[in-house]
Amino acid sequence: MSWAAKAATAASGTVPGEQSSGSSGSPGPPPGPLSRAGITPHKVRSVSGLAAVIGAAVIWIALLGPVIVLLTHLSWSAIRSSLTAPGALDPLVVSVESGAVTLAVLFVLCTPLAWLLARGRLPFPRVWEAGLLCSLLLPPLVIGLLLIFMVGPYTPIGELLGHFNLSATNTFLALCIAEVYESAPYYVLGAQAAFGGVDPRLEQQAQLLGDRPARVFRRVTLPLATPGLAMALAVAWARAMGAFGAVIIIAYHPSGLPLQIYTTLQETGLASALPFALVLLVVALPLPLAAYIWSARAGRRRRG
Amino acid sequence: MLDADVEVDRRDFTVRAAVSVAPGERLALFGPSGAGKTTLLEAIAGLVTPRRGRIALGGRVLTSTSPPVRAVPPWQRRGGLLRQDPGLFPHLSVRANLAYGRTAAAGPVEPELAGLAGLLGVADLLPVMPARLSGGQAHRVALGRLLLAHCDALLLDEPYTGLDVSLRRALTDLVVSLVVARDVPAVLVTHELTDAQAFAGRLAILDRGQLLQVGPPDEVVLRPASRRVAELVGYLGFVPVRGAPGTLAGIHPERTLAGAHPGRGVVLTGAVTGRRPAGAGWEADVRVAETVITCRLPDKPPVSDQFAVTVLDPPSFGPDGAAVPSGLSGPCRPEQVRG
Repeated sequence: MSWAAKAATAASGTVPGEQSSGSSGSPGPPPGPLSRAGITPHKVRSVSGLAAVIGAAVIWIALLGPVIVLLTHLSWSAIRSSLTAPGALDPLVVSVESGAVTLAVLFVLCTPLAWLLARGRLPFPRVWEAGLLCSLLLPPLVIGLLLIFMVGPYTPIGELLGHFNLSATNTFLALCIAEVYESAPYYVLGAQAAFGGVDPRLEQQAQLLGDRPARVFRRVTLPLATPGLAMALAVAWARAMGAFGAVIIIAYHPSGLPLQIYTTLQETGLASALPFALVLLVVALPLPLAAYIWSARAGRRRRG
Repeated sequence: MLDADVEVDRRDFTVRAAVSVAPGERLALFGPSGAGKTTLLEAIAGLVTPRRGRIALGGRVLTSTSPPVRAVPPWQRRGGLLRQDPGLFPHLSVRANLAYGRTAAAGPVEPELAGLAGLLGVADLLPVMPARLSGGQAHRVALGRLLLAHCDALLLDEPYTGLDVSLRRALTDLVVSLVVARDVPAVLVTHELTDAQAFAGRLAILDRGQLLQVGPPDEVVLRPASRRVAELVGYLGFVPVRGAPGTLAGIHPERTLAGAHPGRGVVLTGAVTGRRPAGAGWEADVRVAETVITCRLPDKPPVSDQFAVTVLDPPSFGPDGAAVPSGLSGPCRPEQVRG
């Protein structure tokens, strides 16, 4: 039913007490004068509206500046010569693989933590959150340095890994560890917000209808939090793909895309490094974009 | 059969109540806000843990604090709780919401779902998402969801607050017919006396955690067991009874007639100190001795110093607040009340 039709039925008085139930879904625009005045998207109706659009466009273009510069400074010949060099695309594979591993680790290990934080099930919640903020505030370079002291070859953890012929320096494992540390706080905070947005009364309702807590999580909590979780994963993915500070310290090899850009810059100069920046952008973009589109569609579906 | 005899601690007081509701019976818990009505319902649903007591539903002991100790978790209780917020799952269609609590053991859902959706008037809305529903439709779907889950009881916690009167009445009638058809015990919590009376076969008055009176919905109002119950069910004026020191007669605004009708009750005379429209009639404040009583009258009362009101069969309460059995409840005499 369109807003106009809804207003018409309300006005005719045939349906007593009919009003959109705001509590169970995302509240839409209230029917009535507002909807008739028409907050219609894509239409500018006043000078201040026009100014807002122009201002937003200026900021948007400024933010996109580096991408625009990247695209204008690339030439097909440079792209071809950079990308067809032997082994030029190996870092791409390394980046995608380590990024996928990182996302899997984050989803499995950090989702429960985010849920516990969101539901206040942990004692001294402020302490837990402060700890997360600490790891968020550590510069990636410092994380890398500290990881050396934590999982380096001469530490207890490093020695333990050594027993299994593993090493957490200059290996694929080290790369994944660095990426997890760089992206985890972003994922946990994002996932916490996603779970926090799920009405606990709905979970209680599901319990009262006969679902044990694990089933409630699967049937209610997770589906309702999924758009937010997808966005948190997208942010984590972007962090993992671009991880550099910690990576350069503990995982110089095997090099992923950011490190490849850096080494190419060092060895052959800016012109041959830029094509790899384009590769990073093209490879990293689809997942966040898909998450974005998908969560927007999920929201639309819920609004009916 | 629903049996609950519990003590539940709250921050300000302890809720102590024992209720027993037979299958197909409807009990209304009536009381002011914060009386502990919802707490009692939540104890039955398993959302709060009683300090002491026993709850049994359909032959299963759900809670028992004396050996053998039991505390069945909410998801195994099958006591369907419906609140003011319908709590429909926004990511599921109306159809999926209706079928949510259905277990395989209860048989195929589809035929029953279709029938119930027709009964509830939501048959055309099955593929719709809950955000599209009006308040009344959402409540009907939430009710249908409980019924399809085949709960052993219906616990209704002020489900219709905020809906307008005609919709509320229609939903109440629907619930009553469904409770009778399903033969499950039903408890309605409300702070609207008329809602409670429209729903219930038995009315229980709860105040500050104490069950004050349980009885037929008309009798509780006409024969309140104490002055507090009388206040809760709408008695606004209390006038001293002549010849019985400390005894007060309760005056319910709706139990008054304009003019002197000695054959029908106690006649009081006093000055009209205020009058205002109320619903389809008028409400008048009449000063009788030192007390002001409020009367509901069909016609606009005149401004008068000697306005006579007949109070039908007023209950009276002793100095301790308890109802005095004889008092004015027999054949009433005007001179019994000081006017």
